Amino acid sequence: MPAKILSVDDSKTIRMIVKRTFAPYEATILEAGNGEEGLATAAAEKPDLIILDITMPVMDGVTMLGKLKEDPELKGIPVVMLTAESGRENVAFIAKLGVRDYLVKPFKDEQLIEKVVRVVPLTAKAVAA
Amino acid sequence: MSANATAEQIAATNGFEDLPANVRSLTDLVSRQDAPMQDIAKLICADPELTRRLLWAANPRATCEEEYVVTSVDAALMRAGIGCALLLAITDPLIRAVKRTFQTMLAVDLKNVGPGILPALESEHVIGEVAFDGKATGCVHLRLSPACAKAAATTILGFAPDDADLNDVIGELSNMVVGNFKSNLCDAGLNCKLSPPKIQRTTEFKLRAANGGLAQRTGFHAPDHDLFVDIIVNPWNG
Repeated sequence: MPAKILSVDDSKTIRMIVKRTFAPYEATILEAGNGEEGLATAAAEKPDLIILDITMPVMDGVTMLGKLKEDPELKGIPVVMLTAESGRENVAFIAKLGVRDYLVKPFKDEQLIEKVVRVVPLTAKAVAA
Repeated sequence: MSANATAEQIAATNGFEDLPANVRSLTDLVSRQDAPMQDIAKLICADPELTRRLLWAANPRATCEEEYVVTSVDAALMRAGIGCALLLAITDPLIRAVKRTFQTMLAVDLKNVGPGILPALESEHVIGEVAFDGKATGCVHLRLSPACAKAAATTILGFAPDDADLNDVIGELSNMVVGNFKSNLCDAGLNCKLSPPKIQRTTEFKLRAANGGLAQRTGFHAPDHDLFVDIIVNPWNG
């Protein structure tokens, strides 16, 4: 069964990079452009992992994370933050809300894979003979 | 990631880049507002790069070092004031953020150069703008030629972008640069928030600070990737 990964980021560029990064793996990438869409998609799809940005319109990532952790149905979904925000105090505050890992933009594809496989096992797609 | 981890533990585990000690000290001194000018001068004198940039900022009409009218750090600070030291302090993390973003996302090693070294962007070009607002307030502009913006977007996306894709890529690069820069400001006690990136195309762009504010332009060069990064800092809020 392919891993279901939800990418929540207002930047289409980042969502495309996430899709491309996991293309060689058995993984389904779901997308949301803000925290509100992210919560709705998480509730509907129950992903294995959420990759979450912070600064987004409509609902930011910290608010989405707080709401996710308050929801008994969703609070167990692991979250990896992917954001340009690396201010020490803000990161410590987000850690307290409960995230599995934290990756600061700019980032390389390999760094994202490394963070994700610590949480969700990924299987490489079979190469056609 | 432990919920009880301290900020320092998280930073160390995740390899967050810290400001060099001298820049950190300079920012701390400037953000105190009551720091003696001689302490600031001493710190700047100890760092050739900060000295070079301060003298360059204090000699706005000079095109080379031989034309400098102000030649010492003390005189430069007397002439340009503490606001200039603030600009000097916060431009350093900005330059680092630009280089790190282009190296990581595009495998492009940019070198920062005086803006006069690069040909000016006189025809239509692309601007990514992000404002910061808080203890330090102002605005950062990334300015690239359409060819440079297209090359960057093509590398990141893996295909030739349309205008909407290109705008999104430049917006995200601006967000990464200014997001990193803002984190360094917050760590140095200059808390602020960012606006969403705004992308525009223009033939006319004048670097102008508000009354009492300061502005600085830095050029960045790599083969096929010349760009300018302008920072405007509004009058000091304290």
